[in-house]
Amino acid sequence: MLKKIKLQEAVGTKLAHDITEIRPGEFKGSAFHKGHTVCNDDLCRLQKLGKNNLYLIDLEEDEIHENQAASILADALAGEGIAWKDEPHEGKINLVAASDGLFKVDTTALAAFNMVDEVMCATLHNHTLVKKGEKVAATRAIPLVMKRVPIERAAAIARQNGAVLGVKALRQAKVGLVVTGNEVFHGLIEDRFAPVLSKKVTDLGSEVDGIAFTPDDEELICQAIGNHLARGCDLIMLSGGMSVDPDDVTRKGIRMAGATQMNYGSAVLPGAMFLAAYIGEIPLLGVPACGLYHRITVLDLVLPRILAGEHIGKAELAFLGHGGLCKDCEECTYSHCPFGKTA
Amino acid sequence: MKNFASLLESSAAAHGHLCPGQVVGVRMAMLGCRLIDLDEPTRHDQIKKLIVYIEMDRCTADAVAHVTGVKLGRRSLKFMDYGIMAATFVNLETGKAFRVVSTEEARDLARYFAPEISGKHAQQLKAYKRMPDNVLFRVHQVKVAIKEFDMPGPTRYKATCVQCGQVVRDHREVLKNGRPYCRPCAENAYFSDAREIIRPDMNWAPEQSERSLYLDHLKLKQSNEAESISRKKNIYHINP
Repeated sequence: MLKKIKLQEAVGTKLAHDITEIRPGEFKGSAFHKGHTVCNDDLCRLQKLGKNNLYLIDLEEDEIHENQAASILADALAGEGIAWKDEPHEGKINLVAASDGLFKVDTTALAAFNMVDEVMCATLHNHTLVKKGEKVAATRAIPLVMKRVPIERAAAIARQNGAVLGVKALRQAKVGLVVTGNEVFHGLIEDRFAPVLSKKVTDLGSEVDGIAFTPDDEELICQAIGNHLARGCDLIMLSGGMSVDPDDVTRKGIRMAGATQMNYGSAVLPGAMFLAAYIGEIPLLGVPACGLYHRITVLDLVLPRILAGEHIGKAELAFLGHGGLCKDCEECTYSHCPFGKTA
Repeated sequence: MKNFASLLESSAAAHGHLCPGQVVGVRMAMLGCRLIDLDEPTRHDQIKKLIVYIEMDRCTADAVAHVTGVKLGRRSLKFMDYGIMAATFVNLETGKAFRVVSTEEARDLARYFAPEISGKHAQQLKAYKRMPDNVLFRVHQVKVAIKEFDMPGPTRYKATCVQCGQVVRDHREVLKNGRPYCRPCAENAYFSDAREIIRPDMNWAPEQSERSLYLDHLKLKQSNEAESISRKKNIYHINP
């Protein structure tokens, strides 16, 4: 229960919550902390912060303070790879990445959680690459004092599938590249694909174990895949031959190599003719020629998820559609732009 | 209790169609029974322990009644015309009671729980199966004081309306100046302009008593005899 008292009568009482000071463009933070005993010297500053009354808190048995609530919420939201300190500031707790990796949000559980009136949690987008210590989410209770039950209900919703938030470390894959195309194989043009793909692989902490060049011949493509697998590669990436021309036989080669769960076509531009398939548990990614021209393509959306252990199937490629259109900006600002930010 | 899928199938068949309200109702009843520790509410030893107050007359109400087996005529189903998607489950033996309210936010959350399905109806149908109880419902432990005259069992009291002579059961009469009236006489009824009628086909009954069967037999016999005499005397009735 909250009791309102006039500021002048508050001298000697303890503050019920942090009091925030905002100086536009300069400072935002706690001017006074919860528990601070109000003294005469504080009155002028509190008045300048617009406080003419303060709350005294007398908690009923079934009520909790916003700081307690924030701790319960943070505990329920935080899954594997998420760290947080039980030190609410202005009633809010930040959740950070405990390690480098791919930030994962159960957006359904988050929506259900936020539908509880008394709570909120804001996060980065699902599937954002984050560094250790980076803020990924923040949570707080909305009222200063509330019943305990809605907070526990929100916590239960957050835990429905384990937890709402997590950071998955990327595995270090041993990648086998297959660069297809008669024009490259016969030396008519210089290959540009292998360096582009290799950089994307190494930037994510994996290594390229071998690069095979093949003509547009399904049997030779199949053989190249087989050789990579025999050497112990656990991720195969193929470039070229993914389009609709008669010479585009890469898909045939992938199927011949024994791939199952082949999903050709993604709801992303650039990258519509992308292919994701599996031989056993090993993913095969077919990268269309757009990967040569565009700095960022569907591969940049999918590869981190593959390395985080996610299975990429039809639904995953289809659900990229919303937000899957690159604006082709003159100066690319990915990952700070809307590309790949599905709801 | 049967599993969710079988209960939903039989509930939809009994109700007439499968709809999101059926999913909500079946789940509401399963949760309600679980909360008051009844695992087989329709079984003979549990059936008399249960009373359910249903606060809406929508698809969900039929599903709750189907799963729990409560019935209006057995007085185990109480219809409270609140227009709220809620039902309260009372265990008469333990006195435990829980009010389960279907949340409004579940409608908005359907698109998150079944994003792959288009169409509001189909999406809700799938999403309501996927939502945890915590999202689909809010639960309150409540106290329900059930009056003696609302309990199942034989009629415990009858009054006679001093205006029309109608017998009124279970203290549903209205007292005016200390005298009992039936509701239609005491206040505005749901009907008006009542005028008694009679029709010939209202003499019909599905079964007949022994005495009326005997009288019918006699009539037939007399009629056959009369026809036989007429034929012998060569008398015919000629219809104009």
